Amino acid sequence: MTRLYLSNDTSSRAAGADRLAEVWSVQPDVQLVRTSARGAFFLEPIVERDSPKGRVAWFNVTLDMLPAIIAGEGGTPINDIPFLKAQTRHTFANFGVTEPLALDEYQASGGFNGWTAAVGMSPEAIIQELKVSRLRGRGGAAFPVWNKWDVARQTEATEKFVVANADEGDAGTYCDRMLMEGDPFRLIEGMLICARAIGATSGYIYCRQEYPSAARTLEHAIQKAKETELLDIDGEDFELTVVRGAGSYVCGEETALLESIEGRRGIVRAKPPYPAVAGLYGKPTIVSNVLTFAIVPTILACGGAWHASMGTDRSRGTVVLQIGGRVKQPGLVEVPFGLTLREALEQFGGGMASGARFKAVQVGGPLGSLFPESKLDIPICYDAFTEAGAILGHGGIVVYDQETDMVELARHFMAFTADESCGKCTPCRIGSVRGREILERIQAGEETVEAVELLKDLGETMKTTSLCALGGRAPYPMLTAIEHFPNEFGRGARG
Amino acid sequence: MEPSLAHRVAQVLELVQRQAGARASILQALQTLEAAIGYVPLESLPRIAHALGVTDAEVTGVLSYYPDLHSRPTGRHVVRVCLGEACLANHGSRVLQAMREHLRADVGETTSDGRCTLERVYCVGNCGVSPSVMIDGEIYGRVTPEQVPGLLERYR
Repeated sequence: MTRLYLSNDTSSRAAGADRLAEVWSVQPDVQLVRTSARGAFFLEPIVERDSPKGRVAWFNVTLDMLPAIIAGEGGTPINDIPFLKAQTRHTFANFGVTEPLALDEYQASGGFNGWTAAVGMSPEAIIQELKVSRLRGRGGAAFPVWNKWDVARQTEATEKFVVANADEGDAGTYCDRMLMEGDPFRLIEGMLICARAIGATSGYIYCRQEYPSAARTLEHAIQKAKETELLDIDGEDFELTVVRGAGSYVCGEETALLESIEGRRGIVRAKPPYPAVAGLYGKPTIVSNVLTFAIVPTILACGGAWHASMGTDRSRGTVVLQIGGRVKQPGLVEVPFGLTLREALEQFGGGMASGARFKAVQVGGPLGSLFPESKLDIPICYDAFTEAGAILGHGGIVVYDQETDMVELARHFMAFTADESCGKCTPCRIGSVRGREILERIQAGEETVEAVELLKDLGETMKTTSLCALGGRAPYPMLTAIEHFPNEFGRGARG
Repeated sequence: MEPSLAHRVAQVLELVQRQAGARASILQALQTLEAAIGYVPLESLPRIAHALGVTDAEVTGVLSYYPDLHSRPTGRHVVRVCLGEACLANHGSRVLQAMREHLRADVGETTSDGRCTLERVYCVGNCGVSPSVMIDGEIYGRVTPEQVPGLLERYR
């Protein structure tokens, strides 16, 4: 009997893992174990087996490779793969190794050590540890986590909430999905620690509808944690519920997300008051990204100083990148902050896909700036990106090739904002529609060169006067496309 | 509303109220209805509003806000082509074009035989193996325009 490991992650399944499992599950000489994914999606489906020197892997596996795998012919030790070897995995340490819902495996690999440490500490001491760690929110806003928690802790209320933002709407990103599908107890543990620090008795995970497997896995994990009496804070039950979204991008904005949990239209609320003071049902609420909660257990287990020892001056810890588009090696990368965009694309992305030539790279999802080849030496950290007028967002990096039409790309992003605007503020609601219309007229050759100036003016207005980051960041892809590829915008214009 | 439909709507509403109590959510009620019936019948809106103690306008507002809620029956299968950045970079729009041609339906439309509704989606988080297509709850990766007919063959 040969034990084979095969990922059960959505993308591994989409790459063919389920087809292998379907056939091999009835093979008498094979025992299949469905794990989380390594994140090296260009190699999926990956099949692994144990060896005296650790796991050995076969890549882009097809059904006819089974005899060779069983005979142990031609496998590569997993630790020899450069894409994985060069990473520093902390949040994603268990990936590819454990079964997502095996609580004993999670505990055996250090799971719930952070919670055990937190139970022995006062709420103030937990927050102090986070302060020492210098952890900043991973959802995009990069606000110091300890500060938010401290505000919620100090706000007196009859009820407080912990909410995980699992709306991961930024296109090109999937690290939250992988965490929920692949290591769900890590998210639960992080939320428990937060609940104890601020005094919350219930929590919600707002999971986007496009992630059905993630929601199901989380529900199973919550049930399992409940049965083993892990959802217990100082003798009180901690109620944890998965709420499914309904396809609205702006519900990833924290106040719109809270409106959506309450069951209303996902309309952005004006701030202040901030959710830490008055959030869900008007009660103090911590809304943090899945990735933020996921590193909290390790910080409590290893200490804030450990976390602060990695990264750059103002961006401590590791950054989780998802490199995709026209690169050779699309996949998930966890490394300390500070490597340059060029290094990330070459070392991990592996250069361009066959036949593709680099044109531009977009970092930070549909609201992220475009970078041409000449700007790739920027270090990946919050401050360098802020200085450049760009955002890291949720770590999505998408490479476009020579076939990409920049006017069409700019139009796509304006149309996206027009579709997804919540409609509360005028610059976003109307500005995005006007932006799309002008770009469509440029495409049709019905505009003069002044239209480009009008687009820039419109972009500046949206940046400075929108209520939330959707409207405020929406013009960036268009503005950076105009900045770096001005000829394409002038080409279709008359006179 | 036809009696069997009215009965199912009533069942769903009772369930939602029992589970959530005072904090019953309009969105959750509509999602539960959509899951049970396949869409949210417009004639059921007054009942929902009454059951949750809110106005018809509030319920209508939630229904029209969320792209995943439908006020009309969809096809037997919902085909969603991803147009997130990674899929866009890998020419997902060509997959969408192939879907349009094969189904003879545009985005937001249902085929004349009621088999498929075509929709677009901005990212299904499958960027590592893009371009992606989601049919009902199933996600496909590395989809080429040539694979479209074979892919749809599984959904009759």
